[in-house]
Amino acid sequence: MFQRLILEDSAAIYTVAAFSVATSIFVTVAWRALRMGRAQVDRFAHLPFETETPASQHECRSESSSH
Amino acid sequence: MSNQKITVEFNDKIVRQFLLATVVWAAVAMLVGVLIAAQLNFWQLNFNTSWLTWSRLRPLHTNAAIFAFVGNMMFAGIYYSTQRLVKARLASDFLSQFHFWGWQAIIVAAAVTLPFGLTRSKEYAELIWPINLMVVVVWVVFAVNFFWTLGRRNEPSLYVAIWFYIATIVTVAMLYIVNHLSIPTSFTHSYPVFGGVQDALVQWWYGHNAVAFFLTTPILGIMYYFLPKAAERPVYSYRLSVIHFWSLVFVYIWAGPHHLLNTALPNWLQTLGMTFSLMLWAPSWGGMLNGLLTLRGAWDKVRTDPVLKFFAAGVTFYGMATFEGPLLAIRSVNALAHYTDWIIAHVHIGTLGWNGFMAAGMIYWLLPRLWSKPLYSTALANLHFWIGLVGILLYASAMWTSGITQGVMLTAATDNGTVLAYPNFLDTLNAIRPMMLMRVIGGALYLTGWLLLAYNMVRTIRGARPVNGSIEVYAEPAGTETAGLSLLGSIFNPPVLFSVLAFAFACAWMFGGDFMKIAGIVGALFCIVAAYLHYESRGRQWAAWYDRLLVTAMPFTVLTLIAVIAGGLIQIIPTVVAQQASNVEDRRQIPYTPLELAGRDLYVSDGCYLCHSQMIRTLVPDVLRYGDYSRLGESIYDHPFQWGSKRNGPDLARVGGKYPNIWHLRHLQDPRSVSAGSNMPNFQWLLTDATDLAILPKKIAVMRTLGVPYPPMSDAMVLANARAQAAGIAEDLKAAGATVAPDKQVIALIAYLQGLGKFEPVQHKGPEQGSRLND
Repeated sequence: MFQRLILEDSAAIYTVAAFSVATSIFVTVAWRALRMGRAQVDRFAHLPFETETPASQHECRSESSSH
Repeated sequence: MSNQKITVEFNDKIVRQFLLATVVWAAVAMLVGVLIAAQLNFWQLNFNTSWLTWSRLRPLHTNAAIFAFVGNMMFAGIYYSTQRLVKARLASDFLSQFHFWGWQAIIVAAAVTLPFGLTRSKEYAELIWPINLMVVVVWVVFAVNFFWTLGRRNEPSLYVAIWFYIATIVTVAMLYIVNHLSIPTSFTHSYPVFGGVQDALVQWWYGHNAVAFFLTTPILGIMYYFLPKAAERPVYSYRLSVIHFWSLVFVYIWAGPHHLLNTALPNWLQTLGMTFSLMLWAPSWGGMLNGLLTLRGAWDKVRTDPVLKFFAAGVTFYGMATFEGPLLAIRSVNALAHYTDWIIAHVHIGTLGWNGFMAAGMIYWLLPRLWSKPLYSTALANLHFWIGLVGILLYASAMWTSGITQGVMLTAATDNGTVLAYPNFLDTLNAIRPMMLMRVIGGALYLTGWLLLAYNMVRTIRGARPVNGSIEVYAEPAGTETAGLSLLGSIFNPPVLFSVLAFAFACAWMFGGDFMKIAGIVGALFCIVAAYLHYESRGRQWAAWYDRLLVTAMPFTVLTLIAVIAGGLIQIIPTVVAQQASNVEDRRQIPYTPLELAGRDLYVSDGCYLCHSQMIRTLVPDVLRYGDYSRLGESIYDHPFQWGSKRNGPDLARVGGKYPNIWHLRHLQDPRSVSAGSNMPNFQWLLTDATDLAILPKKIAVMRTLGVPYPPMSDAMVLANARAQAAGIAEDLKAAGATVAPDKQVIALIAYLQGLGKFEPVQHKGPEQGSRLND
């Protein structure tokens, strides 16, 4: 079964198949991502801010840290 | 649920350790880079020593940049951000320390072995097998520590940065193990189990995805954590980050064959690699735009804050590199650019521009927080940014110009394209010398900027008190709004089952016989219709599955692994099954004689493949310059393959018999004595060091195990054959006026070079039995 894969001049089929597979995955993921609820998206997006860190290097304080 | 809160102290000691190691190893990697760039201009800088020679140091440079610099930076960023995102201390202090010291031991081992010529010759996979085992152990320790931490987390949801880290851990493990499968012949040497075209495909499946999953996905995770933190605003679009992750992880793994365009690699694989490379534009630029747009409303800070400057420029370089990558994967563009400095420009935009600037931004952000002290000098950090930016731009523009210049000269032809305009390779080399010099200046500027960072770091942490961050969490973790998934539940559910069934039917359709083909079409169509109907009636079930997946680490990891494994299997299995010596048509390689095999190992050890390819592409200029194009079967017994990736010198696929033995001797001893203007180092130690013939019987035995059809030979016969051939070459040299003892390495290397390009026509099924031995 691999002989046809290697010897036949069928490159165009693989291009179309590859593009179709990747597009279907891209569309599925995009659809799923766009359907995420606003609250869920906000919750995920703010996860990095749930652990406090000093606001900037010039305001680096030790109270939010312990030795 | 208990309302009592406890304080969790993060393990930031390990972050500090990896951060310091990053700064030190980056400087080493860049310093070696500047040296080898200078060696290409001034051959005298090779100092006539084996261990300081360009071809021995170049793997040291690449390995140091990838595994020592970016590796340590990645671990620092992952350990810092993961603890905070999952609100838990790293699971094991012991494993963390084992990870750190184990990784440093690997780097030191690499730095010692590579200059001594102990290499497997596969790019970014050069380290010898005992070090490979160390890497596997340390990587497993890292994975256990990471997933154990996820298992103890106090935050149920997994932020997208964690997704990228998971993809990194599982994919690198898979790639590394497959590409390093070898059979040892001694404690410091082994032969890879794959040979010829199989080895080429596996190597660039690994090599491309080492860039994807070692230099890109972890840094994207770091971008998604540190950029919002530095800009003090959430990521521009979390939805886009979800699309970015899945499409990148799925598409990236297929693109490896674009490193082998116009070669003897089967056409369908080249087309597949090119197509998927082009599709990478979408997710890569989606991620790049997501990063840059996170700076919305904060662009005024970019003017003054060096952290944001580095991040903004780093993400921009990510966009440049990921635009250029697919461009170079277009077959016609690749015909011009491959084997030239254009590729060098591309990889340095990625490593110095994307990785290096993201590392600098992260380090400047972390230093005050890990040592509780303001950065010593913001002005110095800003100066670092501008020096580094000028350096990388100078470097890249020089290499772009150099690559295009040399590519155009190498393909230029007159007389209706039948005669090369520049038949002497050295003409094209000497035309790009000014650009090669500009590269040294650009690289030195970038290194200078990094040394400023190192100075700033030392002054910042001197006298400062290291601090560990902490967080208060509930003693009993809060229940999740969305329940997690079991491992079985993640697989046995409608979306996954329908996808797997449709994929299986599609395979039957593409690869099956008459009946299977019809069954495949019917089955695939049935799956699509059934999935649609099921979704229409049970849509909530589908959505719930995905939501539950996002809060469950292990099933998420398994599905990520399946996504990355698919591309590899579909490319590698047909190649390994079909591309064997017994199936080769047209021409088949004749196995090397024992002495040629010894010479080949010296060729590998001295890194000759780093400047000389052994692959005449299916392009008219290549054929005009080097001879008939290389057939797939002509390297079928090469373990490892030697197709090469860069031509600092001409291709050697058909150099055998082109010059007399004395020419090779003079050329290896002093290249300029026969090739005026050459920048090749002198390989004088080949005339004084002896070839290790005693190991040859063992090497022949391993080759036979790998399927190379050597006839039955006793150890004494192997040695006698090698000595007889060596004596013949030594006599020929003596007749030409040079006296060299037959046991010297140069004799074995000449034997190998003179054997290149020898093949047998395939007239019947089944390989010939070592016919070259009877010559």
